[in-house]
Amino acid sequence: MSAVDRLVLLGRAGLDTITALGRSGLFLVNVMFGRASFGNGWALLVKQLHSVGVLSLAIIVVSGLFIGMVLALQGYNILVGYGSEQAVGQMVALTLLRELGPVVTALLFAGRAGSALTAEIGLMKATEQLSSMEMIGVDPLKYVIAPRLWAGFISMPLLAMVFCVVGIWGGAMVAVDWLGVYSGSYWTNMQNSVQFVDDVLNGLIKAVVFAFVVTWIAVFQGYDCEPTSEGISRATTRTVVYASLAVLGLDFILTALMF
Amino acid sequence: MIRKGPNSTMTDVSDYIVDLQGVTFRRGQRVIFDGVDIRIPRGKVTGIMGPSGCGKTTLLRLIGAQLRPESGSIWVNGRNIPELGREQLFAARQDMGMLFQSGALFTDLSVFENVAFPLRVHTELPEDMIRDIVLLKLQAVGLRGARDLMPDELSGGMKRRVALARAIALDPQLMMYDEPFVGQDPISMGVLVRLIRLLNDALGLSSIVVSHDLAETASIADYLYVVGDGQVLGQGTPDELMNSDNPRIRQFMQGEPDGPVPFHFPARDYLQDLIQAEKDA
Repeated sequence: MSAVDRLVLLGRAGLDTITALGRSGLFLVNVMFGRASFGNGWALLVKQLHSVGVLSLAIIVVSGLFIGMVLALQGYNILVGYGSEQAVGQMVALTLLRELGPVVTALLFAGRAGSALTAEIGLMKATEQLSSMEMIGVDPLKYVIAPRLWAGFISMPLLAMVFCVVGIWGGAMVAVDWLGVYSGSYWTNMQNSVQFVDDVLNGLIKAVVFAFVVTWIAVFQGYDCEPTSEGISRATTRTVVYASLAVLGLDFILTALMF
Repeated sequence: MIRKGPNSTMTDVSDYIVDLQGVTFRRGQRVIFDGVDIRIPRGKVTGIMGPSGCGKTTLLRLIGAQLRPESGSIWVNGRNIPELGREQLFAARQDMGMLFQSGALFTDLSVFENVAFPLRVHTELPEDMIRDIVLLKLQAVGLRGARDLMPDELSGGMKRRVALARAIALDPQLMMYDEPFVGQDPISMGVLVRLIRLLNDALGLSSIVVSHDLAETASIADYLYVVGDGQVLGQGTPDELMNSDNPRIRQFMQGEPDGPVPFHFPARDYLQDLIQAEKDA
């Protein structure tokens, strides 16, 4: 392959990437600001909130519990060397609220709900359900995509909060009930050091941003996929890979800006 | 009613429900249609025939504006479809019904809810009236008894009939059938052939049947177009086309394996190919 050929390939890859970004941007604008939804919009949203949010609860709760427990265990082992094991509560809470809550929830959400959204929409496209909806005179962006997008936006930050709460409780189980840290210092140190705006709100902002990015990537990959079984499998993989990388990259940027 | 649009001559709308004028469409480098003119008469069943991959389904998607032509105009009921905005387009589509090859039923809805879907989103009819209309439509396709089943419990032929009931739920003026006979056993094939003709005449529809099943399409169509190589190769009543002098049309209508449309995909000389294989071995 000559140098010119390589240059051509590079140029084409660049153009493809920019075109895809443009397409996904237009797609998002159409979904969010298109004409008003149908009368049963609420029913559709509630159904999606259930499948995207409620059904993700189990994995979020179990993961949150174990991560909180591991944090407390590791934190205790290190802090006890300095005689400051009372600080384990604030360490668990700050780590969860600032970083692990939003990030791990977003990664789990991309794997559990994001991949399901992509596969579902992709399969609807492959079986011509989206086309037939268009021919019935119903805009699939409004009827299929918008409820899923909003369900993701709404449920992921809530899931992140559940994750943090369960993690803190799991930390207390290990530190207080098992390792014998005084429960008063576990909770009081936490109360004293956790700031609402700095820690809780910033963590929540992270979760909202991640929810937006993960759900957008998931529904766009489904809608834009090649309507074959191979195309759907590639789109599902892309959802998880792109969403995870975007979450981790954005987390660094947001952390640098916030703290 | 007389209308005039860009690149179009004056046409009496009442004669033709769809009027394609100089439509060009390409997919990448490949030209699918090259300045094609097709007119679909109102109230009739029109067959669009041609070999696989000649763009028959593309034609339906152009009429339904799921694809946009590179040039040319597509008049449906006096509206130039490629020029419509998103909202006008969705309104225009309510006059069209389309039966997809796969049926394309919504897999999360029951048979009843699939047929009720267009009524629920486009009308504000009370529930008991929706129920009556759905049962009427399902009765027309003979599946009233299957209303509580889910799509994955139906056979391929039944799926297509439910999809047909859904497509006619809003009483469209134009019905488009995309390869309705593919993969059907003789019984459901016969049922579909009868239904298409019956619905067209009883409901006063205009129908476009895209197919490569010669006998079935010729048996119900009032008028036929044969397309291929991006052109309209011929048109006329089924009898006219059967007796055509054009060798390409004759090859297609008689089902001859070789002729102007070659049996062999372009390849280098057969003997050379075999000798080369021996050399390589």
